[in-house]
Amino acid sequence: MSMSRNTSTSKSSIKRDTTIPRRPLLWMAAALLFTVPPFFDSLAVWVPWLFLFSLALKFWMEPRGYRLRSVILKLLLVTTAVMTAFFSYGSVKGVEAGITLLVVLASLKILEAHTAREFRVMVLIGWMLCLCGFFLSQDFTTSLCLLVAFALLAVALIQFHRGAAPGALWPPLVTASKLLLQASPLVILFFLLFPRINTGLRFELRPFHSANTGFSDRLSPGSIAALANSSEIAFRAEFPGSSTRPSGPMYWRGVVMWRCNGMEWRAPYEPRPKTSSNTADIAGSHSLTVQSPNPKEIQQRITLAPNGARWMFALDRPVKSVPGAMLARGEYLWSFQPIRKSRQYEVVSSESTGHDITAKERSDALEVPGSITPAVRDLAYAWTMHNRDARGIVTSALQFFRTQGFGYSLTPGEYHDLEEFLFRGRVGFCEHYATSFATLMRLAGIPARVVVGYLGGEYNDLGHFFLVRQADAHAWCEVWFPETGWTRVDPTAAVAPGRASLDLTTYLETRSISGQMGAGRNALIARLLRSGVVTNVRFVWQTLSYEWDTRLIAFDADVQDVFLSSMGIGSRGPLFLIVEILLIAIALLSAYFAWMQLRTRSRVDRVKAMYEYFCRKIARLGVPRDPSEGPLDFAQRASRSLPNESNRILQIVDTYILLRYAPQPAPGMLERFVKEVNAFSARTRH
Amino acid sequence: MKAAKFPLAYPTAGFGALLFVLGAMWYAASSQNSAAIYLLLFLLTSLFLVSIPNTLANLAGVTLRVESAKPTFEGDDVFFPVEIMNTSRAIRYGIEVFLPAPGKTRERVDCIPRKSAARLTLRFPAHHRGEYKIDKLHLTSCYPLGFVRASKRFVSNQSYLVYPKPSGNSQLPNNDSRLVDNSVQQGVGQGDDFAGVRGYVPGESQRHIDWKAVARGQPLMTKEFAAETKGAVCLDFSQLHFADVEEKLSQLTLWVIEAERARQPYGLRLPGVEISPALGQMHFHSCLRALSLFRA
Repeated sequence: MSMSRNTSTSKSSIKRDTTIPRRPLLWMAAALLFTVPPFFDSLAVWVPWLFLFSLALKFWMEPRGYRLRSVILKLLLVTTAVMTAFFSYGSVKGVEAGITLLVVLASLKILEAHTAREFRVMVLIGWMLCLCGFFLSQDFTTSLCLLVAFALLAVALIQFHRGAAPGALWPPLVTASKLLLQASPLVILFFLLFPRINTGLRFELRPFHSANTGFSDRLSPGSIAALANSSEIAFRAEFPGSSTRPSGPMYWRGVVMWRCNGMEWRAPYEPRPKTSSNTADIAGSHSLTVQSPNPKEIQQRITLAPNGARWMFALDRPVKSVPGAMLARGEYLWSFQPIRKSRQYEVVSSESTGHDITAKERSDALEVPGSITPAVRDLAYAWTMHNRDARGIVTSALQFFRTQGFGYSLTPGEYHDLEEFLFRGRVGFCEHYATSFATLMRLAGIPARVVVGYLGGEYNDLGHFFLVRQADAHAWCEVWFPETGWTRVDPTAAVAPGRASLDLTTYLETRSISGQMGAGRNALIARLLRSGVVTNVRFVWQTLSYEWDTRLIAFDADVQDVFLSSMGIGSRGPLFLIVEILLIAIALLSAYFAWMQLRTRSRVDRVKAMYEYFCRKIARLGVPRDPSEGPLDFAQRASRSLPNESNRILQIVDTYILLRYAPQPAPGMLERFVKEVNAFSARTRH
Repeated sequence: MKAAKFPLAYPTAGFGALLFVLGAMWYAASSQNSAAIYLLLFLLTSLFLVSIPNTLANLAGVTLRVESAKPTFEGDDVFFPVEIMNTSRAIRYGIEVFLPAPGKTRERVDCIPRKSAARLTLRFPAHHRGEYKIDKLHLTSCYPLGFVRASKRFVSNQSYLVYPKPSGNSQLPNNDSRLVDNSVQQGVGQGDDFAGVRGYVPGESQRHIDWKAVARGQPLMTKEFAAETKGAVCLDFSQLHFADVEEKLSQLTLWVIEAERARQPYGLRLPGVEISPALGQMHFHSCLRALSLFRA
């Protein structure tokens, strides 16, 4: 064994446990920085800043040897922190307050920690902060940050245990990557099979103050325009199977509003489900649509982003309800629970609208508030005078909007009532047109209602899905004709003809009124976002994000149940699964161990092994080699004792010495040596 | 040195804290039915599980050799040089040697490159005179994550001697029990005239060390001063009048050191042991050895 004494191996001093070594601390700081982003979104502003400040302060203190020693000071800091958290949230209960408290205490711990043992505690606290981050948000970007933080904490721990071993950047990173790579099959195994037991310990999260995104149950002037600058994702839609994307503009139905109050419309607070007679009718209309010449039924898979509300979106008109939701009166989906986490469902929509109308629906759809001014009433009556049927009235109304100089703008200004908008302002956004049109229709005796949802969406070529953002929010109308039933009429299309086929941003850009989309800088960014490479990157990101939401986040206990049943092991119970996982895990870990040992075992020296084999042969003939005997001495002694074999022995040993000590042994010498040794044994056995 | 065939893995103190974190994650995941938190939980669990074979493999091909220790005096520290050899083709990190028996000594090497060795010294206080064996040593490592510690046991047959603590009167006894003739000879050691330097003998007084030479980077040397000395001295256990055996042994030890330093031949007489007067390192150590192993 050739051993070189390594004098440069560094030995840590005897008093190790006094300072945290700098290199692991740097890794740790990098990791903790990655845990911060989710805090910025949902906690009080001072919390992440306090965290960052204490991290910076620690780095300033550590090389200077400053330490937080005074117990009184520590207690004072903790009390201040708890009090501030209390005053920020009003209580220390609730998820946000709890997480705030944890983050604040972690900040103080970072300040205080100064021994090596505490470093491990800090790493564990870091992992707890990752957990807190997942409590606050589980979208792709945040999750990526938190997973990076998780990995960096592992790197910090590895660097910590490496001590002063050379290499600060790559070696610990490589080791951590190897560990994570080895862990990945186990993670997949656990993730798919580990029983997600409902412990009955479920606690309901209090709603976050920032949780409600998107539109509300009230449509008033400006409520949708307020969303126009929001790039937040509302939902993503796929068209699975053979059904292709629809050709026309895509109207995503969200909620149907019945109650009219001039320019403000409201959705029912607790919507009623469609009545049983209606359901029968739906079935009827369903079969009718199958027989009709264009039986367009479109299946969609929608992945809803958490919005805190209960709207669930579907194209045109959902035919059936989805689990956990009902089909409310007005044919829209209404979730039983507020949607607080990403949710995926499949829904079938029909392009044709419902045919039937009940007496109650008719009276609801004709209700007009008394506050409507005479001028507006006269406008509607004038249309009823000039047209005999409902279609004519609708055409007249659209004609009115088209020809009377109505403008389309995100910042239409304030209107006190319908009259002011219809006769004086005449600049509005989709909600102005939808509400005024529906009110006018009711005044003209046509049952009408307002539908709020989304229009259009951006198609992602890579992931083959549509991404619908809050900015795509839209409002339109439905009027009831005796021949076709509820029929969609979009008065905005009359004012801004291109809008329906384009998403809002593109539309506003083509109309070169992008100045209204906030500052000009935003427009520049928007244009940049549309350039080739950026679009591709954006699409890749969106696709990843979509995969994350649909494949990973969606895989909760209920989906796992379905998965296990499909594998045929759903009924075996949790114990069976745990035992199975354990067996596989142990087998895998043993395989890792064996592989690592084999890979690092020193290679057997073939020359040495053959020489030892030769020595054993000679020993069998009665001349054992003394451990301290050199090959030459041994050969001479052996050839003296075994004169018959003397030539052979001397030759073998000669070859051995050449192989061992010659600067460049001739090629093929090793093979000859092996052959000679083997031949020697063959000869002596005879 | 015999080694256990397989290393064993034990949880460390950090493992408890890890369990707590995993428990919190599990509670959060199951109560929220959240796949993302489950993912975090399983990532951490798997990382921990994978660290077990990694920690065990970190000891593969690492062997230990304890070299012989120099005898020490009671109250001083025993220094055991240890060589850790890495015969594998991988770098080994964070290897510790743990000596459980006298005083729980733990020493650490951060990194041993492939096919090389590192040396370190196990240091622990010598409490009582006598001969001790180091039988069990552990080679441990908790790299990479520190939640489990792999430990491989080695059995060594090295032993070490602890000489009695030198104490008492440093004046050599007046030779009542003279063994050799009365002839006056020139002795070196105690006196006023500088007579030269010689190697430092462990245990002897540090007063006469040639510190200037040490500062120049030379080994420890003792300056010697010449004085007139009488012949060989016999250090006799039975002549001492202390009640305590250990006290007697301490006194004898001090005299052995002083006599050796003074280059005055000395003999040792213990109940059952008799060493005739002589000088030199061999004689010096055999006397101290006899004192250290003495049983009343």
